[in-house]
Amino acid sequence: MDVELQVNNSISPDARFISWAPSPCSVRVTNPTGASSPTVSVRIAGVSAAGGGAVVFRTGAAGTFSNDLTLEVPVTGTSVPFFTAGRFGQPSVNNGDVRIEARMGTTLVGSVPVMVRIRKNANALKPAERNRLVAAFAQLNNQGLGRFADFRDMHTAAGDLEAHGGPGFLPWHRAYLLDLERELQAIDPSVALPYWRFDQAAPNLFTLDFMGVSDRLGTVRFSNTNPFQFWKTDGVQGINRRPLNGWNPNTQPGPSVRTEAQTLALGTQFSAFRSMQGNPHGTAHTQWGGSISSIPTAVRDPLFFLLHCNVDRLWAKWQRQNGRFNPAQANSYDSNPGNRIGHRLPDTMWPWNQITGGQRPPTAPGGTLAMSPCTNAPGPQPQVQSTLDYKGSVSATSRMGFDYDDVQF
Amino acid sequence: MATKRKTAKRSKSAKRSPSLKAFARRAVSIAINERNTAKQRVAALAAEPLAAFENDKDLAAVLNILRNKDEPIAVRLGALESLQTASFSVDTFAPYRGDYLATLRKIVDDPDPELRQRVLGLLMREHDGSAQEKLLEGLKNPDKALVPPEKALQLLSYDVHAEAYLVARDIIKKPPNDDARREALRLLAADPSSAPLFEKLLRDKNELREIRQISASALNALKPDRLKEHAREILLDKSDYDDIKATSLTALEQFGDDAALGKDKALLKSVDRLSTGQATAKYKQSAKRFLSKFTK
Repeated sequence: MDVELQVNNSISPDARFISWAPSPCSVRVTNPTGASSPTVSVRIAGVSAAGGGAVVFRTGAAGTFSNDLTLEVPVTGTSVPFFTAGRFGQPSVNNGDVRIEARMGTTLVGSVPVMVRIRKNANALKPAERNRLVAAFAQLNNQGLGRFADFRDMHTAAGDLEAHGGPGFLPWHRAYLLDLERELQAIDPSVALPYWRFDQAAPNLFTLDFMGVSDRLGTVRFSNTNPFQFWKTDGVQGINRRPLNGWNPNTQPGPSVRTEAQTLALGTQFSAFRSMQGNPHGTAHTQWGGSISSIPTAVRDPLFFLLHCNVDRLWAKWQRQNGRFNPAQANSYDSNPGNRIGHRLPDTMWPWNQITGGQRPPTAPGGTLAMSPCTNAPGPQPQVQSTLDYKGSVSATSRMGFDYDDVQF
Repeated sequence: MATKRKTAKRSKSAKRSPSLKAFARRAVSIAINERNTAKQRVAALAAEPLAAFENDKDLAAVLNILRNKDEPIAVRLGALESLQTASFSVDTFAPYRGDYLATLRKIVDDPDPELRQRVLGLLMREHDGSAQEKLLEGLKNPDKALVPPEKALQLLSYDVHAEAYLVARDIIKKPPNDDARREALRLLAADPSSAPLFEKLLRDKNELREIRQISASALNALKPDRLKEHAREILLDKSDYDDIKATSLTALEQFGDDAALGKDKALLKSVDRLSTGQATAKYKQSAKRFLSKFTK
């Protein structure tokens, strides 16, 4: 007797990545040898490696999760659906550090390794997670000639009004981060973009082995084993980043940056919450000198993505706190017919829509948004509204495949 | 000037809740009131960077703080940070951007070195031609320098061009200090004709290790195949330093030809030596990772 387990409705190992949001799975009998009835009873459970991720299950799109499931599976080969998710608070560290096992009685009849791939606090990453992230970044950049150059070209003065010119600021950057993260995952599928808690000290982030250490000039130094030592963007070597006003990011939170609690208290309506574009977002950029402190050059510094991951996490946390995932609800977004193009809910977002000229920028670098083997959302040409329900809380098909370590489903 | 701006230019999206507006109004009134302490004024500017955009008068007042040499420098720097933060809210800031940049150009030669440095950095990141000229002029004629040469070279890297290369080459011939030499080399890392210089520096065991690391990085972009050749030779060379070997190993691991590396027995042997020799734990670990990747 053998069964086949599908994760994210796929038999591909590339699709075996889950988050806190439930992923559609199925089990079917592929070898009925030994079966004596039309169905067999199969118990599905997760087995975690030491320090690895953990998974939970449920039979339908709704309902409570449990540590295991028993399903009646036809011996004809018909698939039986179920759902799995990472157990909140227990993400993976390595690819495949938790297995979904199928057993008949005590006999193992099927098994697949999965990863509970979650965006984590960069300051708390394990060295192996950090090294994989940095290596993937370096390869994406590849001497300034790789795919990363497209991400540089997306975030310049030409696209300013698309990315920063209205309430679409948060949706645009959510899509931007996801696009980059998926490109990193194409290099190393075990990588998830981490976030920099700019309202906390980060002694493990601003080190020679991770995001580098700034000298008095603001030239960032890296260890000889750190692939970031080869960083080059726009033909320019290295990274310039200097903490201002005597601030030490290793020991102090950003001096003027709003705390998480202050940010989440900005208001329960998106129109109020989005003022976080100034403080903490803008403040987190400008508490530094160097490229990260100006829009046209900010993306030269890979710290940009960790900073914005935290901005997105704050939005995600605010969404969960206030139930703001549904674009049909007015307070979930600052929807106004007078918003400029790219900032209204049904608008597609540049550059992924590949529309140029007119009210859009003259070029659209980078092509459409990268697809994922784990989910079809938000599609190659996302709309503003498709970024809100990123967890699939309103519609399961909206699930984008990322989650934060401290934002529950 | 901002005070003459038509109100029609105000962004439609600058609609804020009454409580936020009141908070912003209070922040501006604290910031512009000279009777408050510098600390209070800086805190007010930082708390609500978009505060000045509630009306043109307030914006003019904040720009005036930035321009006014009689204001405490901490407050002026606070005003600059506040305006720069606001610039990230493009829609709100757009009508004022011209005034902001014009103000920066006016204070580029301010007596305060920190303010000068920050303003030049902001202008260079906007590819401002006048800032670039001033930096080049200062490098050619130190009496006119607005910032130290190493800082000028670093800032010029935001918009590199041929004239900057010429100046950087002169600095390398006769560097005023080690930092200036380093920054000149970083600038030249974008110059294809400097590749031979970087090859020479990378292989010079008497050179500063930091300069050799920079040279490897420069070659990785300018002549990646040559870097791979040098990296291999450095790893085979028993007399070279472990840190430069680690840089070489990182280059090969990240950017090398996986198939070729796996077949290169001499290289793998030298990496094995690094993994078991006197090197630091970090370098040994790096060597072990390399071996596990290429000797599967």
